[in-house]
Amino acid sequence: MSIAGDLIRGHTDAIILARLIQSDSYGYEINKTISNMSGGRFELKEATLYTAFKRLEEAGFIVSYWGNSGAGARRRYYTITPSGREECRILREEWEETKDIMDQLLETREEP
Amino acid sequence: MRNQLINYVNLLFAGNPEAVDIKEEILQNTLDRYDDMIAQGRTPEAAYSLAISGIGDISELLRSSTAGFVFSASPVSNSAPQESEQKKALRKFLRGIAVGLFILCPIPLFLLQNEIGLCLLLAIVAVATVLIIFASKDEKAPLSELTPQQKMTKSISSLFWTIGSIIYFIVSFKTFAWHITWIIFPLIGAIEGLVHACMDLKEERKHEK
Repeated sequence: MSIAGDLIRGHTDAIILARLIQSDSYGYEINKTISNMSGGRFELKEATLYTAFKRLEEAGFIVSYWGNSGAGARRRYYTITPSGREECRILREEWEETKDIMDQLLETREEP
Repeated sequence: MRNQLINYVNLLFAGNPEAVDIKEEILQNTLDRYDDMIAQGRTPEAAYSLAISGIGDISELLRSSTAGFVFSASPVSNSAPQESEQKKALRKFLRGIAVGLFILCPIPLFLLQNEIGLCLLLAIVAVATVLIIFASKDEKAPLSELTPQQKMTKSISSLFWTIGSIIYFIVSFKTFAWHITWIIFPLIGAIEGLVHACMDLKEERKHEK
């Protein structure tokens, strides 16, 4: 898990952007979705998540706004910007290419 | 247990009062996780420890929130902590000497029992103050985006006022003309302004070239 975890963490930005294309969301909800989608095998730490939010926001890919949570406390929501959508498309393309290269590189021709 | 969780997050950020937004967001997310775990039927203790382990290492986060954002943890950044480690040691050393001087400064006055003793006391205080200023300057330098020019101006200002205060006390004790010696302070202000103006002028000329 640790190697796979590191590998996936390298794509945190793409994962978050892809979630935000679906709908505006906040930290825990995004993390929960990630956890569910990976069948409980992958989850981000709060610190990693927040660092990514901050980075994406400074790059102009997402913007945040404060909304209300059920308990009356403030909750920070994130929404994706047009340049964020574009970035997500680029990252996805890069990933497709990476996946393609890796598949080629890991191919073995052993006779069964 | 929920309150303990709030306390835990508050303590986590206790040393960084400027990171209110980060704290609020992380606290909210952590509480969300806790509530969710409870809703899934976990015990409060289990939910508490799961919520805490979900936070991860926030030290990197706090460093970047105060020192401008670092984009990626590239190998280049490895040299930076070493450097600051050295600086930290130097600052500690300077601060140590300064505190020592502050403690020892009344000795000349006790021994000599006259104005010279007092002057020595003030001189020692001045040296200690300058050391403290130097020790703290390094700390602030990476945080603010001061130009070398602005940094110099700041050090000169603090030096000016320290020396000015010493002169004020020496002259006042020597002449006992307290009613008029305060004039030294407006004078320092004027001289300081003049020096700054000269420095700005010099800087402008440098830019023109």
